[in-house]
Amino acid sequence: MDNSLEQRVCRPGLELESDGFAALYRAHSREIYYLTLRLLGDPQKAEDATHDVFLKAYKKHDEFRGDSSWRTWLYRIAINHCSNLRQSWHSRNLVTNGEESTWENMPAMADSPLRVLETKELGQRIQKTLDSLSEEYRVLLLLVADEELSYEAIAVLTDQSADAVRGKLHRARKAFAFSFQKTL
Amino acid sequence: MKHQKKFDQKQQQTSEVQSQQKVEHEFATVEELLRFDAQRTGVPPEVARRLNRSLRKEPAPPRPWWRRWLGQQ
Repeated sequence: MDNSLEQRVCRPGLELESDGFAALYRAHSREIYYLTLRLLGDPQKAEDATHDVFLKAYKKHDEFRGDSSWRTWLYRIAINHCSNLRQSWHSRNLVTNGEESTWENMPAMADSPLRVLETKELGQRIQKTLDSLSEEYRVLLLLVADEELSYEAIAVLTDQSADAVRGKLHRARKAFAFSFQKTL
Repeated sequence: MKHQKKFDQKQQQTSEVQSQQKVEHEFATVEELLRFDAQRTGVPPEVARRLNRSLRKEPAPPRPWWRRWLGQQ
């Protein structure tokens, strides 16, 4: 963490947590960067998005009501930001996720363990797989991978019931497992 | 000299084989795989530097109402 950032964001009057904005950045920037990286599929765009998310959080910190965790609040800003970016990109480049009908009829591959080799291509395989899914499934899988988020928190973040989240996650895991095998 | 060259070649081959050895992981769920991927993905330090530069341009936050009311700085 940049020392001057820490000094800057811990200035009196900001009234975030006692540790200040720098602590917020330290605690959550990895998760926010990873979410934006896998939603946008581009490291440079993810850098820009992570910067923008924390800058928005800084400007709007007085809107944080404390009825969710800081992480949940940051996730909401990040999801909305990425969604806006993707919408403007999609309006210029028509892209479809046409795989969903194919895997619906497949055996439950999500129940089998995923065996992978740790290589530099693994990230590309994961990205390719996520890109083949709908945005909703992609967001749900990335959120549920964060152990700090409950199904209820994910439900609030994605404006649906926890039961709906569970059902969609079941299908999303299946879709991911099917597409992931195809990236070999 | 020739012997040394052969030795160097063999050493190079060994290090190449070692670098090509790949660790196999097994993940019970998609979440585990994504968690593993997230763990090995760090935030580029440039993000903090850029954020710092942007924060410098932000105006100072207004004084809290209670400080204004009490006439404090």
